[in-house]
Amino acid sequence: MSGVIGAFRELDSVVYAVEELKEKRIGEVTVYTPTPRHEIEHAVNAGPSPVRRFTLFGGLFGATCGYWIAVWTSDYWPLVVGGKPVASWVPYTIFGFEVMVLFGALSTVAGLFIASRVPKLRMTVGYDPRFSSGDYGVWVACPPERYSEAQSVLREHGAVEVRDEQ
Amino acid sequence: MATMAKPLSDRDEPRRPNIASADVQLPAVKDYEQVDREISATLHPTVAWFIGLGVAVFFLLVGISAWMYQIYSGLGVAGYNPPVMWGVYIITFVFWVGIGHAGTLISAILYLFRAGFRTTIYRCAEAMTVFAVMTAGLFPILHLGRPWKFFWLIPYPNWRYIWPQFKSPLVWDVFAILTYLTVSSTFLYIGLIPDIAVLRDREKNPVRRRILGVLSLGWRNSDREWRHFARAYLFLAAFSTPLVLSVHSVVSFDFAMALTPGWHTTIFPPYFVAGAIFSGIGMVFTIIIPLRKFFGLKHYVTINHLDAAAKLCLFTSLVVGCAYMTEWFVAWFSGNEFEKTFFANRIWGQWWWASAILYTCNMVLPLTLFKQSWRRNPTWLFILSFFINLGMWFERFVIVVPSLSHEFEPWQWASYSPTWVDYAILAGSFGWFSMWFLLFIKQLPVIAIAEVKEIIPPRLRTTHDHGIDSSGRHLEFEPSTPGEDA
Repeated sequence: MSGVIGAFRELDSVVYAVEELKEKRIGEVTVYTPTPRHEIEHAVNAGPSPVRRFTLFGGLFGATCGYWIAVWTSDYWPLVVGGKPVASWVPYTIFGFEVMVLFGALSTVAGLFIASRVPKLRMTVGYDPRFSSGDYGVWVACPPERYSEAQSVLREHGAVEVRDEQ
Repeated sequence: MATMAKPLSDRDEPRRPNIASADVQLPAVKDYEQVDREISATLHPTVAWFIGLGVAVFFLLVGISAWMYQIYSGLGVAGYNPPVMWGVYIITFVFWVGIGHAGTLISAILYLFRAGFRTTIYRCAEAMTVFAVMTAGLFPILHLGRPWKFFWLIPYPNWRYIWPQFKSPLVWDVFAILTYLTVSSTFLYIGLIPDIAVLRDREKNPVRRRILGVLSLGWRNSDREWRHFARAYLFLAAFSTPLVLSVHSVVSFDFAMALTPGWHTTIFPPYFVAGAIFSGIGMVFTIIIPLRKFFGLKHYVTINHLDAAAKLCLFTSLVVGCAYMTEWFVAWFSGNEFEKTFFANRIWGQWWWASAILYTCNMVLPLTLFKQSWRRNPTWLFILSFFINLGMWFERFVIVVPSLSHEFEPWQWASYSPTWVDYAILAGSFGWFSMWFLLFIKQLPVIAIAEVKEIIPPRLRTTHDHGIDSSGRHLEFEPSTPGEDA
């Protein structure tokens, strides 16, 4: 992967730089930011997160499993007490609810890891430790022939450091 | 996720009220680098921390010694006297589960309600939750005569392929507590990942840097990661919210499903949940007030934050007080002789002093929080938190012991007095909890670095004469104003 990285001190500079980079279609833009900001999210304009689907299916699967285990184990050793049903859904709702929450929460975390591509086992090209502290980074993945164009956009909007990396 | 709205004109600028509100401002925190520097500085061990850890380990060893003595001598040394076969262990179990509730309330429910004051206190409360539930989980094992068979508590077909009875409240309890421990630990860890990445990037020691790199899962702070993180965090909060309410409801079913006088009542689930949140907030005060003093974090956990948390404490105290009075009313209005006799015994009988401690600590003393100057007094909040912890422990004592010692038939009536083994194991549980918490605060940040950065005005190329908060409002204070009283 090759491209250009620009380090910024100010939020508004980042937003303007990202907007222009996307307008000129220089390459795929990734923004490194110490804290999530809506301005950057709007500028990047990515689609909705798929994590919600993991949550939904995990929760539904958990609720199904919870009820199923309780009902199956009751029928496995059917002992009628007081003429009441062997498998009684009312108390099993507690069990179904707890398993729904457990599976839903864990599948949400799995969705986060898959969608964010973590854990990352290798170094990320362009990442700088200062991006977790106070500075913002804008990485433009582009071929070498477009480096100069990307660098000029980043500098024009106030990048304090610009360099190309491979 | 913070946003930067267009600044309002001076004419539209609202006056900044001198009361706690959801609008969090940290005027003494200027930029992101200051947050990193000051919060990571809390990780350096001090002499006071080592002394605290030593005291915690001492109490833990006292508890372990008493437990070993109990295993050797039998459960009889724990002071059980039939029919009072639930005593200090179940009381302390419910106490610690209750303590564990405020953490998820503050981190999840207040997150969904966008209550800004949670930002600087939620990490402590979440860690408190995990360690409190870990402590609570020990008590069912301590209560076993043969603790090496503890795995029989886990619901699986452990005896002739017979599964546990899924209609039993004790089985619900196991699932509720284990689910709560798993989800709250996950919630804590997910929130920690960006902060561990900050520590990783500041770390000079290669070994520690490597460890932090693994723990942070290679987090890079990219817009892609933040986008999915924000969504996942929201859903985890949405799952945790009903879980908080369900766990102590299920714990209350341990009692409410029995026919014992004083237990068999439908008010128990909301009554237990409110009590749990009340006791948890008390413990948050016990922890956060010394922390902000010794770690020099008064400009992060400001008086406004304590004020807002004190209002929540007052509210839950009123709910709990209402539940106590409803219990008395239901006993009187039901016309049931057993219930009426039981409640008269609770107030005027053998355990009147325990009831007096309970009502004084949980209903009377928190009323002082109606006065703003008391709510904004950290010394009083710290003292009050001890009374709340004491009162909530005695609430569980009053629920468990008088009911079991004074059931339907007079020939069943008995007394109960805890022994030194009970008290030593109770002290050991505090040692266990404190040890984990003290280890936590020196390894990982006690205040969420990334979330605090969200509420600090970002650095902008277009400068303004005075500050602008995260919602775009001009701030009245001067930049040099110390932030403690904000």
